Amino acid sequence: MIIENILAAFVELGTIKTFILMMVGVAGGLIAGAIPGFTIAMAVVLTLPFTFGMPAPQGLATMVSVLVGGLSGGLMAGILTGIPGTPSSVATTFDGFPMARRGEPGLALGIGVWSSFSGGIISAILLVTLAPQLARIGLEFNPWDYFMLVMFALTITASLAGKNMVKGLIAGAMGLLIRTVGEDEAIGMARFNFGSDTLLQGFDFIAVLIGLFAFSQLLRDVRDPVAARKSLTDKGTIYVRIEHRRAVREILKRWTIVVRSSLIGVFTGILPGAGGSIANILAYDQAKKASKHPEKFGTGIADGIIAPESSNNAVEGGALIMMMALGIPGDVTTAVMLGALLIHDVIPSPTFIAEEPLIAYSIFISFFLATFMMLGLQSFMLRVFVLVTRIRMYVLAGVILGFCGIGVFAINNIEFDVWTLVWFGILGFLMRHFGFPLAPMILGVVLGNIAELNLARAMAITTDISPFFTRPWSLFFFTIAIFSAVFPLFQGHRGKKKWTLFYLPVACFAVSVPLYMMGGVNRPILATIVLAYGAYTLWRRGQGGWQLEAVEGHDLVEK
Amino acid sequence: MDRLNRDAIIAIVLLVFCGVFFWATFDIRQPDYGVLMPSTWPRVILGVLSFLSVIYLVQYLRQGADETELEDTTREPGIRGWVLYWRNPLWCFGLFFVYLATLPMLGMLIGGVSFVFVLLNVLGGWDRKNLVLHAAVALLAIGGMWSLFTFGLGVLLPPGMILGQF
Repeated sequence: MIIENILAAFVELGTIKTFILMMVGVAGGLIAGAIPGFTIAMAVVLTLPFTFGMPAPQGLATMVSVLVGGLSGGLMAGILTGIPGTPSSVATTFDGFPMARRGEPGLALGIGVWSSFSGGIISAILLVTLAPQLARIGLEFNPWDYFMLVMFALTITASLAGKNMVKGLIAGAMGLLIRTVGEDEAIGMARFNFGSDTLLQGFDFIAVLIGLFAFSQLLRDVRDPVAARKSLTDKGTIYVRIEHRRAVREILKRWTIVVRSSLIGVFTGILPGAGGSIANILAYDQAKKASKHPEKFGTGIADGIIAPESSNNAVEGGALIMMMALGIPGDVTTAVMLGALLIHDVIPSPTFIAEEPLIAYSIFISFFLATFMMLGLQSFMLRVFVLVTRIRMYVLAGVILGFCGIGVFAINNIEFDVWTLVWFGILGFLMRHFGFPLAPMILGVVLGNIAELNLARAMAITTDISPFFTRPWSLFFFTIAIFSAVFPLFQGHRGKKKWTLFYLPVACFAVSVPLYMMGGVNRPILATIVLAYGAYTLWRRGQGGWQLEAVEGHDLVEK
Repeated sequence: MDRLNRDAIIAIVLLVFCGVFFWATFDIRQPDYGVLMPSTWPRVILGVLSFLSVIYLVQYLRQGADETELEDTTREPGIRGWVLYWRNPLWCFGLFFVYLATLPMLGMLIGGVSFVFVLLNVLGGWDRKNLVLHAAVALLAIGGMWSLFTFGLGVLLPPGMILGQF
């Protein structure tokens, strides 16, 4: 069955037109990712209007290509100029730029490219194998569970805002509220239209996304008049030849870093809201901790390029697993992909892979193909990158603002969408300026309908709200939502307040309860392991006399 | 305006916003069928949003200014300084509004090219060399995009009064 689906997807994507579109997508993504100030999400968002007229597998393959290209593009700018092209390649510059300055830019680029490729392939394999399994678990979900899953996704996304968690939660709630404007999903009653017929249809999700994300980012990019007139070449970009053979040898010597970092990337991608920007730092940090020579990190060593580049390319596989299996986008880019599926009347849910195998497997296959294309195109795009870096930021921003107008109008052929773009552009700009994270708001906009529909379904079954807290899966999501909400507080007080000693054991005890309630064989075993780990941690801390000691600011050491 | 005041004002604006929208939920028609009324979910969200806004207000009144997020100190004081500091985004917004307001008359092609041309000159300078370059960029970029959508993807973009006559 799986082989049949893979073959069908290959046939669907195996046209010259699709291949050309994918190549253009990867090339565009590589360039977009390489330009500092232009995010991958922005590139994917701006690609969406072009895919309206395409069949769903072809359109999604094009978007996946942009995504894969964008993930790898950031390393070019990071290594050659020291300015990360995207937030997901920040850690690449720590060792990539010093290695390039030491006179080995070709090796640095080669290591970056092959690490990206390896991370992408590992993540693609996990995507194909894990997504259908996770979807099977998702079939157990009832409306109560789904509602709680959405609440968990919003909470964890907001908690990633760290000390600004309240702002993150406000942004998430605002996103949910934006989605209520217009006719309600369940019975079609008008809400918040203030007498306007235009507002009855609500705000178009894509126009809101482009406004919040792309429009507001472009305005930030041109805020400084002096910086806006500068181009990247002022920083001294040079053309180099990528040293593929040497790079492959270096990577093969450090395959454990590749595997570990890719797994970190996939896991980070599965968590809603946590993207490449977190994964690359996390993988770099882990590689440094595991290294026999941590002091060499930052001086231009291969390990410091392999770890962040493997992880940031693996992130999207994880995010796609979550989106395709459960219909919950892992990050902003997969939120846009979800929007693309909705435009093609496909609603991602646990039944998505079973009901729409052609589209699902087209996404899997295009992820694979795009990763190979990225490898082939990287050398060529490096020359284009050098040309693009000569363009001044204000020219790019001005032209893309013009593109935004045309692209957004093309969604529904109505002028109102372009007004939506500009109003949400202003809102996004203000939110960024006042320190409100945009990711929870975007997830709120994407997931608002799903939350309300499932709440309506749950209420139609019974008006009793106790199943939200007594059903195993909803209790599970509720529990981890609570602990993720408290996590920023825990991080802030770790090593300083005694209650933080109990955070992990209590979290383990609490999570084991719904796992036991799920029944079967595997889950109670898992629950027992989690419970035992919590008890062991508590026992060790008790043995240490509940002592705290802060090492290097935050690290906790039990005596 | 210092940061403490700014955060307090944002929280108060959010609370007023919640109040207005909560009031607007009473205008939502309540049908006599269905279990979850159309106003219930927005009211739940507004309740949560109000609660969070109160926490935000209290948090910033207690903790004071967040020094890590202070604005650029190079900014001149007063309204003139504010306008100078934000002039590029203000130009972008202003020109985009003009572009949208004139869309029925100029259409997407002429309006789009004019918008990008003026914006590039405003952001990059009006000297003679730039004028030619910016005109070429605006014409090629927007003209190309317009052609792609119109002829390639079959999207009917607004022609405006001028091109609509042909």
